Amino acid sequence: MTTRGRDNLTAYAFLAPFLIIFAVFLAFPVAYSVFLAVHEPPADSFDVFANLRFVGLANFVRLFHDTKFWWSVLMTLYYAALIVPSGIAASLALALLLNNRLKAVRTYRSAFFMPYVLDMLVVGIVWTLIYSPHVGIVVRVLNAVGITAFSERGFLGTPATAMPAVVLTNVLKGAGFGMVLYLSAIQNIPASLHEAAEIDGAGAWQRFRSITLPLLKPITLFMVVVGTIGALNAFVDVYAMTSGGPNVDVGGKALGVTWVTGYYVFDTFYTQWRLGYAAAMSYVLLALAVVISLVNRRFLRSEV
Amino acid sequence: MQYRTQARIRKVVLYAALTAAAVVVLFPFFWMVVTAFKEPGKEFTADVLPNPPTLENFRRVLTEYGFGRYFLNSVVVATVSAVFATLFAAFAGYVFAKKQFFMKEKLFAFLLGSLMIPGLMYVVPQFAVVNRLGWMNTYQAMIVPHLANVFGLFLMRQYMTTVPTELLEAARIDGAGEWQQFRRVMVPLSVPILATLFLLTFQFHWNNFLWQLIVVNVERLYTVPVGLALFKSAHEELYTLKMAGSCISVLPIAALFFFAQRYFIEGMTMGALKG
Repeated sequence: MTTRGRDNLTAYAFLAPFLIIFAVFLAFPVAYSVFLAVHEPPADSFDVFANLRFVGLANFVRLFHDTKFWWSVLMTLYYAALIVPSGIAASLALALLLNNRLKAVRTYRSAFFMPYVLDMLVVGIVWTLIYSPHVGIVVRVLNAVGITAFSERGFLGTPATAMPAVVLTNVLKGAGFGMVLYLSAIQNIPASLHEAAEIDGAGAWQRFRSITLPLLKPITLFMVVVGTIGALNAFVDVYAMTSGGPNVDVGGKALGVTWVTGYYVFDTFYTQWRLGYAAAMSYVLLALAVVISLVNRRFLRSEV
Repeated sequence: MQYRTQARIRKVVLYAALTAAAVVVLFPFFWMVVTAFKEPGKEFTADVLPNPPTLENFRRVLTEYGFGRYFLNSVVVATVSAVFATLFAAFAGYVFAKKQFFMKEKLFAFLLGSLMIPGLMYVVPQFAVVNRLGWMNTYQAMIVPHLANVFGLFLMRQYMTTVPTELLEAARIDGAGEWQQFRRVMVPLSVPILATLFLLTFQFHWNNFLWQLIVVNVERLYTVPVGLALFKSAHEELYTLKMAGSCISVLPIAALFFFAQRYFIEGMTMGALKG
């Protein structure tokens, strides 16, 4: 055997376990979901795979006319519109606080980061308790200062506050991640830039606006992309806290204000066992993700 | 003198702000622990600390509600998954870092590209594959589908590229075969990244709730998050027990983070900072 042939053989022997798993459980499923998207199990069968019926593009047509689906896309965008800026603001604020010569900086950094590694499900369940109506700790504190608007239904049961409450939970859990990114980027900014600006008479705010912020742009863009893709995947927090509710009346239809697409996919698949429809829906998610990353790539190229 | 006073005030303000932020971020976990030690029915009393504290909630979730069993299942699933995911990523990362082979660059770009696909996309077809394999309600269903960790592969390649190729060459001249070069030279020099990926994959699998919920529906195989989610829907009002279950669920990861936070923080942010 030639040397090159042997090298290839060795390399692929090392790669084999990874590639086999990748092919069977990641690459193949993406292709297979095309097949699923054009099939549907018959309504009367419990064995969802035994009698898949070819339905052509019916799933996509139905999806197109599905108010609940478009509503879910809208709620996903709403979720993203809340979580992306507030996540960035929280991360950046923590990073700026930590960017000082203080003894306990490392301890604080760990404290802020820790919730990021813990389970979203648990965090959601704990916050459900904190937010709960009548007797929850937040409602009690608000009652004490005379605000009783949330006593009856709690933050998660009030349509106007349900999504912000879910997002707040998520931001407090995840801010430590962005904080570390921002902190290391801030510390990479040469001190000479700030010194030069100071000599020219620039105040602290001015230096932040015209030196720090522009140099942090790559991290901010990264946070936007990760945050938006995260919104497309949002599920566990909604599952733990609101199950897609509370419902509001939209043109005669009851629609949940936290009914994000990720939750709809789960509900279609796990509660209703409509695999084909769920697969079709996840293709729309993929399309959205592709559009987002293309827009971003465009953005990155023109700006940096 | 005035400058020193100013600096001192600034320091006090900073510490106050940092402490306030830490209190807000950590409050839910404090509240979880406090509630878990409260007597059932006293979860909504005004007491900030449990009065008197009780271990009854933990005893009940561990024995009556099967969290002991769920905990063992989680340990098995997360440990086995982390070992193999780390190993496979190390093999693959090694050849991407140190070998030339057919289609190398294209393959790497293809693998990395898969990171852009939203995770939710995989769930339905992955479930179909596992179902076809007849793996429903097995440990392998929870473990095997997530053993190809592309992010881990990327971390491994990044790290192993920095190990000098001369060391591998020297071992080869001394008669070491391909496997020995990997096992005796690369692995000992890559311990930090192996530890990092082990911790990250352990954490991922410990928290991999949605997937475990989908492929398992017999109580014998429930992991902690699945048990907790189903307990939550079945006993909405048993708050103290729910919080005890929550404590059990986060404890192992919190402990790992406490002892190995550097690995967690660096590993999780490495992709974003270097990529």
